[in-house]
Amino acid sequence: MKISYNWLKDYINLKLSPEELKDRMTFAGIEVEAVEQLGKNLKQIKIAKVVKFEQHPNAEKLSVCLVDDGTETKQVICGAPNCKNDIKVAFAGIGTQIQDFIIKKAKLRGELSFGMLCSESELGISTDHDGIMILPEDAPIGTDLASYLGLEDTCYDVEITPNRPDLLGIIGVARDLSALLELPLTLPESKLNASNEPIEDHLSLENKVPELCTRYTARMIKNVEVKDSPDWLKKKLISVGLRPINNVVDITNFVMMEFGHPLHAFDYSLINEKKIIVRSAKENEEFPALDEVTYKLKPEDVVIADENRAIALAGIIGGENSHITSSTKDIVIEAANFLYSSIRKTAGRMNISTDSSYRFERDITDEVAEFASIRACELILEIAGGELLKGKLDSFPTKKGLRKVSIRPSRAKKILSIEISPKQIIEYLTALGLNITKESEDNLEFEIPYYRKDLTREIDLIEEVIRLNGYNNVPTFLKSQNIMNKPVFFARRKIENLLVNYGFSEVVNWNFGDPKDLDKLKVNANDKRRDFAKLKNPLGESFSIMRSMLLPSLLKNALHNINHGQKNFRIFELKKVFTRKNEKLATEKLHLTGLLCGELNPVYWKDNSKQLDFYDVKGITEDILAELKLKNCEYQGSEEPYYQPGMGVDVTISGRLIASLGKIDPKIAVKFDINLPVFAIDIDLETIFTMDLFQDHVFEIIPKFPPVLRDVSFIIAKEHKYADIIETMRKAGKNVISKIVLFDEFAGKNIKDGFHSLTFSLVFSSDTKTLTDEYINNILKKVIKALINSYNTEMR
Amino acid sequence: MKEELNKVVVSAKTEIIEAKYMHELMLLKSRYIGKKSILNNFMQKIGSLSKEERPAFGQTLNIAKNQISQLIADQEEKIKELDYNTTLRSESIDLSMPGRKRAKGSLHPITKVWREIEDIFMSMGFEVAEGPDVEDEYHNFDALNTPQDHPARELSDTFYLDDDVLLRTQTSTVQIRTMENHSLPIKIISPGSCYRNENDASHSPMFHQVEALLVDEGVTFTDLRDMLNIFVKEMFGDKIESRIRPHFFPFTEPSAEIDIVCVKCYGEGCNLCKGSGWLEMGGAGLVDPNVLEKLGIDSEKYTGYAFGLGMDRIAMLKYKIPDMRLLFENDIRFLKQFS
Ligand SMILES: [Zn+2]
Repeated sequence: MKISYNWLKDYINLKLSPEELKDRMTFAGIEVEAVEQLGKNLKQIKIAKVVKFEQHPNAEKLSVCLVDDGTETKQVICGAPNCKNDIKVAFAGIGTQIQDFIIKKAKLRGELSFGMLCSESELGISTDHDGIMILPEDAPIGTDLASYLGLEDTCYDVEITPNRPDLLGIIGVARDLSALLELPLTLPESKLNASNEPIEDHLSLENKVPELCTRYTARMIKNVEVKDSPDWLKKKLISVGLRPINNVVDITNFVMMEFGHPLHAFDYSLINEKKIIVRSAKENEEFPALDEVTYKLKPEDVVIADENRAIALAGIIGGENSHITSSTKDIVIEAANFLYSSIRKTAGRMNISTDSSYRFERDITDEVAEFASIRACELILEIAGGELLKGKLDSFPTKKGLRKVSIRPSRAKKILSIEISPKQIIEYLTALGLNITKESEDNLEFEIPYYRKDLTREIDLIEEVIRLNGYNNVPTFLKSQNIMNKPVFFARRKIENLLVNYGFSEVVNWNFGDPKDLDKLKVNANDKRRDFAKLKNPLGESFSIMRSMLLPSLLKNALHNINHGQKNFRIFELKKVFTRKNEKLATEKLHLTGLLCGELNPVYWKDNSKQLDFYDVKGITEDILAELKLKNCEYQGSEEPYYQPGMGVDVTISGRLIASLGKIDPKIAVKFDINLPVFAIDIDLETIFTMDLFQDHVFEIIPKFPPVLRDVSFIIAKEHKYADIIETMRKAGKNVISKIVLFDEFAGKNIKDGFHSLTFSLVFSSDTKTLTDEYINNILKKVIKALINSYNTEMR
Repeated sequence: MKEELNKVVVSAKTEIIEAKYMHELMLLKSRYIGKKSILNNFMQKIGSLSKEERPAFGQTLNIAKNQISQLIADQEEKIKELDYNTTLRSESIDLSMPGRKRAKGSLHPITKVWREIEDIFMSMGFEVAEGPDVEDEYHNFDALNTPQDHPARELSDTFYLDDDVLLRTQTSTVQIRTMENHSLPIKIISPGSCYRNENDASHSPMFHQVEALLVDEGVTFTDLRDMLNIFVKEMFGDKIESRIRPHFFPFTEPSAEIDIVCVKCYGEGCNLCKGSGWLEMGGAGLVDPNVLEKLGIDSEKYTGYAFGLGMDRIAMLKYKIPDMRLLFENDIRFLKQFS
């Protein structure tokens, strides 16, 4: 539903800016879905005066004007017949946007034009396009048109929740805001002056469906003059997105927007037999509606009819056969209410949604019909003239008394956890229009006004209290303590799971260690891992320290398993290691160590068996580091003393050692009584977890164009490192090579000594263009040239 | 010419029906109805016929062409079907042979229990707190209200690195450290390794324990009982009830020991529960006001509960592991059972 800021100000003296009001409404439960600045386009239009007016020398229908916009005088070519000297006009200068186009400097038949004089239709003010808009003589030159015409306004598109039909009119919203902002509410007061002629002499009413039509009132005005509405009324309707039609219809729409209660006006002369009948439609009864569609009705639909035919589809749309036209003289004003579910059903089946059905579907109130009817009649008499007949026709079959609901302040306090006094509760609720009827200790009884159908229980009143108090003023106590480091906690689980998927079984060893194990591993005398955390009263010499490395334990686990006939296994342990030198307690660091022995895969009848090798272990390590989202890892020969020379690698990130892997030197393995090849991985999780790793992954755009694959194959001296070769190719390939995959390597046969053959698959991709063969061949040439220039190599 | 055409049609029919391979059929197609085909040749020759003969022959030629096209199309279908059947035969396999599997690893049963405990408590808003294994005497004993002459402080019970530096004997140390460093309310569990100077068939010098701590305004004995009941049922199943018995711990008051219904006999009595129907699970209680006051917490305003459970014992009960030593032997045949 649309409501306007200026319109709201008719009922409350708002001091908030339109922007502030938006937030207040939203936090009071009236959610603002969109905000529109009205008159924005008229802000650039200036009031100007034509100071010179001459016939265009080369065009009969054009004139050359000089206009003064308060700052300078400009020449404008105008084609309007009503343009003349010494009038005030609406001037759009260069750069102004009028509807869909922007005014530019122009040359019309040889004469320059620096702007445009606008018509009302060009400005969207009315449909008048007979000539330019001429403003009153006293219109101040240089003022913008929006402020001059008072068209500056803010229109809010608000979502009204289904429990609040009272907010379907601007007065209802104003009432809520007056309670919220503690501002007085000013409602229109209507007085009707009727003639002595009773309505009953001219019209009768029969409500045949009292369960579906819960109220029907009709008033009648004779001799109205149907014409255009006055400007103020048009402006109001336009400000909430309604189209002005004629004064009578516009007034019914205006009152609907005020009270949230739809009205309908009939042309009295078109009501046959001068009788209004509210009844069920007949099966297949035809109804020609205002939207120029003839609807086929069913008995579940309610119609307003005369003796012969339906003249309106109740609460949804009026009839083509009875609506107000410029020749209408006498009118009947209907203010009624219908069962919401019936309206919803009919409107839904016919797929019609009108401002009227929108409201009746939301269970509005029988009582408001009367107020809306009086307000509309008053305005019609004022604007369209005529004489109101005495009295009204009214069918109000089940009039209910006002409901009473009690609230216990202690209960409100308990549920809302706020300190609130009975006095404050009374203030809040009376501001919403409730009347306090009984007040005793911890019990306040209120009479609920007819327009608040939603307030039926204590908890409903409690909700109103907290809504006015402000949801966000309720104190909060809980906070996230962040005692645990969740990213690390879950990263740890992720790595464990990954290892399990790679076939590793987790072991758990005692954290005690044997200092002699480090001798067996040839760990340097000055290695930090020899700063043992020693126990004063150990279980024995071989349990005399807290482990500074996990590897010895894993080698002992390996031996146990080999001795028990298990030769294919992968184990890991993820635990703290300890050192202690000058610190009071110990330095405890989380490490992950894995040990691998035996075959790459379980025996399978289709495959040849293959023993694990260095690259298998490297691949697993790379995957673990990738799982931790580590980038820029560098691999170089290991300095650990226990790897077989040439078969160990240290991994660093910006110079910090984070992992190592390799084949355990057989000479060292044998000291642990192991005679099989075993490989180890050691990852310093403690160091990794201090790095800034755990940013959320940000989506990367998938290239629009399909990748192109090319192979390149060459013989190269073995001394050149793969990592360097890749780097050379990547550089030469600029940004177009997205991936380089080594897919073959061999030496021997037909290849000279000290050389080997390498075949790479290069993936070319671009997110800006399709890569042509020519382009790719060019890049490929550059890659080959770079290889030949840098290495002892030849192409194959 | 008509006769000539008839002959061609007859020979085409036999040849097409005999074609067994697609490439053969395609050759025939181009020979008879392709651009430079025999039938096209006839088309060229139409000009040599008299005007009266032309339409009739043209019609005959068209019919012949349509017939041959149809035959080729039919034969194409036949050959495709034959090829498909050949493929089915050549790809037929013994469906009973084993599928390719990857070696699957396993988490240690203690880790499995550890994770399960973390998940149960985290789902109820607890955080997981950690602390050092190597502790000072203050956090391990003094702060926990342990009397100076308590036997647990002896070298025969606790491993020491220095006179006042030791291996923690319980993870309650983490609770103290958390209360020192964070504001209230605190709702944590602290799982981890603990150490006691003993080593026999039923005691390991290193074991795993989890402690739970909740300190807030208005925490009561009921909250403790609720949490214990929920935890035990989540861990062992709905059939397992729990109860608490009065006991003594220096850092809780009132203190209690936790029993659960025997997971083997469900209370009937068996060798596991030594006929009682109940198993001892750990200790619990409301945090002793002294402990709170030492940390500068107003024990009138705040109360709390704490309880501790042995994770190794939970693992043994849950997986029916008969001997504790199996947990630390790391035999791959044992470990793989938990994959
Ligand atoms: Zn039992």
